[in-house]
Amino acid sequence: MRWFETPNFDFNGARKMAYIFSAILFLVSVGAILTKGLQYGIDFKGGKEFVLDFENPVSVVDMRSDLSEPLGATPELKLFGSESEILIRTDNERPINEVQQIITSSMTELYPDNPFTVIKTDVVGPRFAEDLKSGALQAIIYAIVIIFIYILIRFRNWTFSAGAVAALIHDVVIVLGIFTLLADLVPFSLQVDQAIIAAFLTIVGYSLNDTVVVFDRIRENSNVHKGMDFMPMVNKSLNDTLSRTVITSITTLFVVTVLFIFGGEVLKGFSFALLIGIVLGTYSSLFVASSLVVELEARTKKS
Amino acid sequence: MQGNGFKIGCIVAFLALTIYYLYPTVVWSLEQNYMEELSPSERAQYQEEEQQKLEDLRTRTLSLGLDLQGGMHVTLEVGVPQLIRELAGENADQLLNDVIDVAAERSLENDSDFINEMVAEFESRDPDARLSRYYRNDAMDITRRSSNEEIATFLKTQRQSALDRAIEIIRTRVDRYGVTEPSIVKQGNNRIVVELPGVEDKERVRSLLKGTARLEFRLAADAQEFRAFVNSVYEYYDNYSQSADTADTAAANQFNPLEEVLVPAQSPYLVGYATPDDTSRVMDLLTTEEVQRILPRSTTMMWSANPFQGQGGSELYQLIGVRTQIELTGDVIEAATVQFDPATNVPEVSMTMNSEGARKWGRITGANIGKPVAIVLDGFVFSYPNVQTKISNGRSSITGLDGVEEAEDLVNILLSGALPAPLEILEERTVGATLGAESIQAGLNSILFGLGVVAIFMIIYYRTGGGIADLALLLNIIFILGILAAFKATLTLPGIAGIVLTIGMAVDANVLIFDRIREEQRTGKTLKASIEAGYANAMSAIVDANVTTFFVAIILFSFGVGPIKGFAVTLMAGIVASLFSAIVITRVVVDYLTQAKKASVSFG
Repeated sequence: MRWFETPNFDFNGARKMAYIFSAILFLVSVGAILTKGLQYGIDFKGGKEFVLDFENPVSVVDMRSDLSEPLGATPELKLFGSESEILIRTDNERPINEVQQIITSSMTELYPDNPFTVIKTDVVGPRFAEDLKSGALQAIIYAIVIIFIYILIRFRNWTFSAGAVAALIHDVVIVLGIFTLLADLVPFSLQVDQAIIAAFLTIVGYSLNDTVVVFDRIRENSNVHKGMDFMPMVNKSLNDTLSRTVITSITTLFVVTVLFIFGGEVLKGFSFALLIGIVLGTYSSLFVASSLVVELEARTKKS
Repeated sequence: MQGNGFKIGCIVAFLALTIYYLYPTVVWSLEQNYMEELSPSERAQYQEEEQQKLEDLRTRTLSLGLDLQGGMHVTLEVGVPQLIRELAGENADQLLNDVIDVAAERSLENDSDFINEMVAEFESRDPDARLSRYYRNDAMDITRRSSNEEIATFLKTQRQSALDRAIEIIRTRVDRYGVTEPSIVKQGNNRIVVELPGVEDKERVRSLLKGTARLEFRLAADAQEFRAFVNSVYEYYDNYSQSADTADTAAANQFNPLEEVLVPAQSPYLVGYATPDDTSRVMDLLTTEEVQRILPRSTTMMWSANPFQGQGGSELYQLIGVRTQIELTGDVIEAATVQFDPATNVPEVSMTMNSEGARKWGRITGANIGKPVAIVLDGFVFSYPNVQTKISNGRSSITGLDGVEEAEDLVNILLSGALPAPLEILEERTVGATLGAESIQAGLNSILFGLGVVAIFMIIYYRTGGGIADLALLLNIIFILGILAAFKATLTLPGIAGIVLTIGMAVDANVLIFDRIREEQRTGKTLKASIEAGYANAMSAIVDANVTTFFVAIILFSFGVGPIKGFAVTLMAGIVASLFSAIVITRVVVDYLTQAKKASVSFG
């Protein structure tokens, strides 16, 4: 089977459209993040989380109001995978054993015919959450810096570094934006926690993978076709590697979709981030990264 | 075929190593299955007989993270400010306390080193003063003339050794608790991460980890003086409510906040009783500056460690007045055992003191016959028995315990020694065993489904080439597991996700190569030349793409904690394994197939 045997898409011709598309996505994401704020998970916000596994299905809405009074504030409640597993998150500052006591005794009293077990608890102190947050931020920044330097060394051209890094930031910000916008709309947790940071860095790695392959071909082509203009050459390189780009995206999407469906509740947000990230990463290496290199090259040549 | 001999050698060696490292894991899981079918008594006997073999297997098996097998993960922090304060001992003054408070706050805010902040703050207050006046220590070569820099170094060493000691003590306690394969590691310069597989009794573990084992013997407060104090506190709050709420209703005027939460006691050195919910409120009311001013300096108030059943079955804690002065501390304790009161069969902890302790204990008890002596552990009063006679054999016991379990834990804590500084729990995560098992199942399903889908796709798209890539993919997963086992890494749920992701990305190198071969074929080259050129030309893209991802994995590994580290490790192992299988293994197979002419090779 052969797809994209000898493709000849005008990627660079479409770059203006891509800029508009990317700009809209980017601005909407930044807007969402600024107005709604990132929906931090317990890792970065601190708090207490309990997952209860009931014998029979339960109503989240009822429980939320039932627990409001004993806990002193309305807790966050979500289904955790099935209809009978429930995640309770509270900022109540009492010691963990007291909070759990409050929850278990209220639940036993309210649902005497529906026994449950506590299958998971997480407690993160606010100070520790701050540490985790700054660690995550540092990781992302270091990743971007190191990638910039590596590409600079391998390709001896800062515009390549700039293009790749811009594409990475583009991808990460938009995934964050989508997370913020969809946080309340999907039936699984899209809160930003440590696992999501891992997913982001993987997206960064993946998107870069794609971009580097294209750059590598640009470098090769510029040695083979010396007289060719830069832009058509970039376009040719994109087309040369298109088959590979699409096939790898497809295989990776296959497995990430599998992970999303079968990986269990704990990995839902994580695999969702990867899912969007891979689509975006593929798009950005086709339309954003090399287009930016073309723009930057044109500008540096002129001056 | 030149050079392929070496490659085949590599493959065989790599495979042999993988089998060597994975073999115990396979045998272990077979053993587990076998033991599951035995009856409990047979199993116990089998475990007894094969103890050595099982233990040996278990240590060499690929270990599962807490998120997969269930258990408890706790991050603790050593209270460095308290430690530094205590190091100064009796030399500490108001200035030092202030400096420590400011530095503690600032190091939190700026995420900076506490000791550096402390020195800076101290010097900013008085540039000529020397910290050596607090920390003179002849044994450690710290004299009055030591510079602040030397003191800082000294304090940092002390912090380090306190952390090491804390880890040792926790290890002893955890070992006595009987957890298999606990992991206790240092993190940074004041944190300890404890992982306890299979443990779900959070309450017990918390007190086990946090108990500093500061055992003190104190005399009860002077009855008359203390009674007077309690009365004046009530009086104070009577007046307080009237003056504070003058604008409020008459009903509010009658409201004494202390009466609401504290049931008054009749006993001379008891302030009163409170329910668990009210204890913190009571303390708030009793630690205001005004109340502290009335309290005689020689006296402190402490809660009882365990509640007793009040009327109507409610649990009540006692607030007890004790002397501020500590008569004797726990370091004189030589041995501790659980015993049962012969009359009531209630468990208690019996302690034996060393000779010096016994002498002091004899003096203290002799001088206070008929009076209560409080036995205080970590700031809570466990019991305050009346001294009947002079005790000269150095024996004492802690009663008022909550059961045998608590007595046993207490013995463990006492015997493992006092922690150098209090520990605070920063983070605590518990995963139940069933959830862990579900996660393993979900992870395995994902790996199998992912593998299947990708394998079928590759064969459809690349024909023979796809089949070869599939073979490489399969070996790839086995290699990853082998690498993880070899490096004693722990497989976590994110780690499984990492493997799944690697399945998708591992074929990338082959996709690059095969697409390149197709391209070369289009230029009219022979199959053999195309294969040669395809592998050669794809190489730089493969290396660059994988090196960058590897960097990202290293960053994840250095900054991530817990499960994220697991993900990073599998990602790294995945990159190494997939490069090897995609470049070396497929090449050998492709060469063999093309040269032997046994089959026609097609890249679709």
